[in-house]
Amino acid sequence: MSSLPKQGNETSFWDQRRGRILTRKGGWIIGEAVYNHGYSMLDDFVGEVSFFQVLTLNTVGRMVERSFADWLEALFICLSWPDSRIWCNQIGSLAGTLRASPVAAVCSGILASDAKMYGPGCMTTACDFIVGALRDNNAGLSPEGIVDCHPNRRNGGIPVIAGYARPVATGDERIAAMARTAAKLGLEDGEHVSLAYEIEKIMQAKWDESMNLAGYGAAFFADQGFAAQEVYRLLSCWVNSGVHACYAEAADQPPESFFPLHCEDIDYQGKPPRPVPA
Amino acid sequence: MTTDPAQQVRKRDMTFAGRTRTEIWQEIPSEENPYLAGQCRCHGYDILALAEKRSFAEVLFLLFQGELPTPEQARMLEFLLIAMINPGPRHPATRAAMNAAVSKVRTQHLLPIGLSVLGGAHLGGAEVLASMRFLGANLERLPAEVARECLAAPRPDDGRDFHPAPGFGSRFGGIDPMPRQMGNLLATLPGNGDTVAWGTAFVEALTPHGLGWLGPGIVAACMRDLGFSPWAGAGLFQLICAPGILAHGLELADKPITAMPFLDEEHYVIAAEARK
Repeated sequence: MSSLPKQGNETSFWDQRRGRILTRKGGWIIGEAVYNHGYSMLDDFVGEVSFFQVLTLNTVGRMVERSFADWLEALFICLSWPDSRIWCNQIGSLAGTLRASPVAAVCSGILASDAKMYGPGCMTTACDFIVGALRDNNAGLSPEGIVDCHPNRRNGGIPVIAGYARPVATGDERIAAMARTAAKLGLEDGEHVSLAYEIEKIMQAKWDESMNLAGYGAAFFADQGFAAQEVYRLLSCWVNSGVHACYAEAADQPPESFFPLHCEDIDYQGKPPRPVPA
Repeated sequence: MTTDPAQQVRKRDMTFAGRTRTEIWQEIPSEENPYLAGQCRCHGYDILALAEKRSFAEVLFLLFQGELPTPEQARMLEFLLIAMINPGPRHPATRAAMNAAVSKVRTQHLLPIGLSVLGGAHLGGAEVLASMRFLGANLERLPAEVARECLAAPRPDDGRDFHPAPGFGSRFGGIDPMPRQMGNLLATLPGNGDTVAWGTAFVEALTPHGLGWLGPGIVAACMRDLGFSPWAGAGLFQLICAPGILAHGLELADKPITAMPFLDEEHYVIAAEARK
């Protein structure tokens, strides 16, 4: 590695990094230890802390209390539905029916959940909304004003607010379960969650729409001091358990037996038959 | 808290399609089995007739746009498919596939791994999408004027690269010569249109500042002139680069793990605060 750039470009930024890796996360010193953010993985973590504590540490660089990690685990359970109609889960089923590997299936399902409509893909906008809403609220704007001022509208004027409304159904049964879990773990709602509920009241009264799990989760994370990008990263594998279920069931059945389609089950609306020009 | 029984979960009154619709592909069932297609048509053309009479680039164009390309369009797409066929073994997307390969991943995963990395907002599919939108939004304006506005944005002062607009900027502190040469060649092809010309003029205004075409910008301008929608840009970029990523991965798939660097402790530098 001795070549020098022929042009006069300034490359010192890359030269400092070339041929080596600099890390503040940690690593494996062979024969010594696996270090992780100032801890020894095998001495301090294995059998001592929960997986979700380590996940949070690895993702955002902070060791959280067990109670928060347990809340986070519960949040993952909330997206563990073994329902193969759910978009990301069906990818697991389709992978299973074609005998893709379980890792490919779950990765594909997780990737599908990086969506604007649901899953981790909608979390940054949900976080940005509630953080901005609290800022506006502290500046004097009421919850009703926050809803009324929201610029993004759907037909009929319904505000399209990340964290409110939900595909296929209205209401979200998971919020009560998560709130119950938080209380059981001794985790209190903060000002983001309180405002999120206030906004929900307005949304319900005016538009018959409720907060969804993303909205509650975003507010809760914000109260716990997490930034939007940290939340996005923490929840990147959020749906994995449900995909597992759907993959396993399809993979255990005969190939191509999951939800097969006749040719005529596809509604072709394109161009009629025509000859290929020479 | 949500305690009002009236706010319980209710299924929305939505109408879902009874059958999935497509305008792209028609499968005519065989007489013996409704699950099997006896004939497949792509936008009305029999796929086997296309296979006999048309090139891959032409059918790729047809698949996305519904009509076969003109000879000039086909030539331009062919140019892009070849020029961008391989991001090269230093590109992070290719390296992802190579890392996976040397660690003995199942080879069917090499391409998805590399293409996932190639989807990013920096030099990836997301930048192609952003670049196509940028070009579309500014095509009616003077390139020099847009460049002036873009250059007014604060430039990173820590030495890292600067993309004043998606698809355009510096790479490793300089102007990347390969996209520059591609841009020059594209500008001479008869199939090029307003976008490549606009991008060329935009780059002229950027060059004195050490900025130029980036790979995603080339693909974006070309795709736009060929009539592809921005939504197609990210995925088509991945498709175009896929052969090189797979080839480099496969090259290492049967090699020992020693065939790629595994940094020693001297070159893997753990900050003191990360150690116990």
